[in-house]
Amino acid sequence: MLRYIVQRLLIAIPLIFGVLTLTFFIIRLAPGDPAAFFIQPGISPNVADQIRAQYGLNDPLPVQYFKWLGNVLQGDFGRSFSRAQQPVVEVIASALPITMTIALLTLVANFTFGILIGIISAVRQNTFLDRFLTVTALFFYSMPEFWFALMMIILFALKLPLFPTSGLNEIGAEGFGPVGFVLDRLWHLVLPVTVLSINGAAGIARYVRGSMLEVIRQDYIRTARAKGLSENVVIFRHALRNALLPVITIMGSSLPFIFSGALFIEVIFAFPGMGRVTVEAIFSRDYPLIIANTFISGSLIVLGNLFADVLYAVADPRIKL
Amino acid sequence: MMDSLSKRISASSRFFGSIFLALMLLFLSSCGQKSSGNGKSSAAMDSTLVIAMLGDADYLNPVLGSTVTSGNIIGLIYPSLLQSEFDTSTGLLNYLALGKKLRETAPGQAKKAPQGAIARTWTMSADHKTLTYILRNDAFWHDGKPVVSGDFKFTYKLYGDPVIASARQQYLAELVGADKGQVDFDKAIETPNDTTLIFHFYKPVPEHLALFHTSLTPLPAHQWENVKPAEVRHSELNLHPLGAGPYHLKTWQQQQQIELASSPKSTLPKPGTIPLITFKVVPDYTVRLTQLQTGAVDVVENIKPEDFKGLQQANPQIEVKTVGLRAYDYVGWSNIDQQEYRKSGRVKPHPLFGSTRVRLALTHAIDRESIIDGYLKQYGVLCNTDISPSLKWAYHNRIVPHAFDQAQAKALLAAEGWLLGADGILQKQGKKFSFTLYTNSGNARRNYASVVIQQNLRAIGIDCKLDVQESNVFFENLRERKLDAWMAGWAIGLEIDPLDVWGSDLKKSRFNFTGYQNPRLDQLCELAKQKMEVTGAKPYWLEYQEILHRDQPVTFLYWMQETQGFSKRIEGEELNISGTFYNIDDWRLRPSAHIAP
Repeated sequence: MLRYIVQRLLIAIPLIFGVLTLTFFIIRLAPGDPAAFFIQPGISPNVADQIRAQYGLNDPLPVQYFKWLGNVLQGDFGRSFSRAQQPVVEVIASALPITMTIALLTLVANFTFGILIGIISAVRQNTFLDRFLTVTALFFYSMPEFWFALMMIILFALKLPLFPTSGLNEIGAEGFGPVGFVLDRLWHLVLPVTVLSINGAAGIARYVRGSMLEVIRQDYIRTARAKGLSENVVIFRHALRNALLPVITIMGSSLPFIFSGALFIEVIFAFPGMGRVTVEAIFSRDYPLIIANTFISGSLIVLGNLFADVLYAVADPRIKL
Repeated sequence: MMDSLSKRISASSRFFGSIFLALMLLFLSSCGQKSSGNGKSSAAMDSTLVIAMLGDADYLNPVLGSTVTSGNIIGLIYPSLLQSEFDTSTGLLNYLALGKKLRETAPGQAKKAPQGAIARTWTMSADHKTLTYILRNDAFWHDGKPVVSGDFKFTYKLYGDPVIASARQQYLAELVGADKGQVDFDKAIETPNDTTLIFHFYKPVPEHLALFHTSLTPLPAHQWENVKPAEVRHSELNLHPLGAGPYHLKTWQQQQQIELASSPKSTLPKPGTIPLITFKVVPDYTVRLTQLQTGAVDVVENIKPEDFKGLQQANPQIEVKTVGLRAYDYVGWSNIDQQEYRKSGRVKPHPLFGSTRVRLALTHAIDRESIIDGYLKQYGVLCNTDISPSLKWAYHNRIVPHAFDQAQAKALLAAEGWLLGADGILQKQGKKFSFTLYTNSGNARRNYASVVIQQNLRAIGIDCKLDVQESNVFFENLRERKLDAWMAGWAIGLEIDPLDVWGSDLKKSRFNFTGYQNPRLDQLCELAKQKMEVTGAKPYWLEYQEILHRDQPVTFLYWMQETQGFSKRIEGEELNISGTFYNIDDWRLRPSAHIAP
């Protein structure tokens, strides 16, 4: 299996470089100018040129590309255009922990509730409970996240002022002490994580229900029951493990989400996470930041898929890598 | 068997449910401890003013900062050579030193105390080529070092350095040497001693303009002198600004909030009255509104007119204040055939909008009043030209707006040969009057207006399609003169200088997107610039407005008031056209006991 993993990783390197090269050229083809902000009345026409010179945008495209390539190979993704020329790595390093906190909490909640609801619906198929859960799950699944988030804010921050509307911490939270600070942070995370996980759990529940229904009709489940195993053992040890295979695929493809962030939630709840970094970079044509973000999400998609393939082998011994 | 399973499952769901409940209780109890339900801990609330901002400041360095937010914060941290105020009775900008004013203001108009100025006084030479400031000697940076004339000279060198690429280098355009391409700082700025600062210009400069251009914010030279120009933009010092104003930077959590604390020793003009001011990044408009309602923030700028009623009903402790008029929207008609111009550089009239009569007809056809009534309500004013009614000294108040009159619009078009075709669309020599009106995405007001315009034009037989483009793409297309018709807006400066927008030299006038050319207009702008006393240019500006009104290079739509939401716990705020936070160092916060439920 190790050999397989190494092979896959080696293939990934040219793949990711291909993606980065494409991104490099495509964003430069897109209309818009990173120095556009400095083109307005009252600002000398020289400023935009000087800024472009600072960014190295006056060089011919191939020269820019090879300079960029040289830097990237040395691990230098350059400085952001739009964020006060902060090194790109620093911008990402400050946004990643926030995004990861939200995403990990969300994923745990997603899978816990999703799998649980899925199992209940499958085992109690066609009962009132199943129908209730199915309808509720579909209801939430089809709701746009940004709208749901705004509704939650209106309900739980405005009408019933239980939770804060936005931000990571209270103003003056530094004075609450370490425990108070963490509690305050968690309190700020309740609404966004709830929005994200209700939406996600609903989707996962549908997958789990479907695959669970398929599995519990299999012969080996009947055999397990015939052997006199308790229903718990049958469902959790024999059926669930097999039913989780499609869920593993989702888990693998959720990995990029952990790092790329949930844009709407970050904008609405004013979290300075990766989603906002990426979108603001695109709107301000911040080339180095766009490329670094592409690098991260590209690598993660590749890694996520690899991770899912490895997990398959772990979950199902019949799959040989 | 199924029963035991469902018991097991219901047991586990009870288990998870109880964990969830316990967590909820934990959160609730933690919020109960420190919040009175308004989103701020009450201890912090009485001493902290919270201002919502759309995005973070870029640089807290006056040489580099280029966003409005940066400007607001820099104004609180750094000292300034002069204080400026906008006289609403005349619409003129006034400049104040400790012991001198550019002009006397009408009684009741002078609101700004001059104590924030570093200059004691100034003298302009008779030939208008030398401006000498005498500085006070009791102004200190926050680290205790005195603010001296050398700080100003040092910072002007940074402003003028092409490597630093400051957005304010235009301010140096009259200094000695600038006419030859490079300011000669040794000759242009002299500092014979710590309290004397002399600027030399290569040509006579009107006094008000000289004051405006020489009062750029200084940096402390002793902090910055060892930073190489190429390093200025990445310097760590940008994160730790050293100022001398009423506030200093306490913390800056990038993309989250900027916290300023009152500087106890400041004499420029005095320590800020409110102990802490927090600028908080809240990117989403709806959330900003919600936070204003819950009291989590105290000031939200640019509230849309449709939200006023709901906001004030939901929380009577909120008031909406208005200031203006500095911004207008217009429909741009390409006056020249842009394809031809881009191809060959030749100027030919645009096939649809090249004629003054056609553009006049389009203005008559558009019901501008109904756009104002439907969207801006009392916060909009009909716009005739780009000189704002707020600039009273120059505004032409006898211009009669082109009325909404579709019959006249049709008559004008008919006179130009545009006649109704079988399909109900105007035609001239087989060509239909059909075009696309572009605007930028994400602007509800322009969307509203564009739909009204489309209907108005359809009623007289003009086929107007609407298209919304991403802002970057839209403005690039405008700059490259690729659009035939578009809706956009301008925010005007308080000094009138419109040549960039209307100048006949299309290469030089980068913002003349319409390609409008009128030599008399160029001449008027030049004549006005040469007047040493600003009000002396009034006759030129009156004629300027008459020409624009007659030629209709664009259809001016409406001026907009800026509308800001304030919590009523703020006292002493004065809104001014020169900025929402114009006298923020004098604002006070009413103790929360008065408004707590």
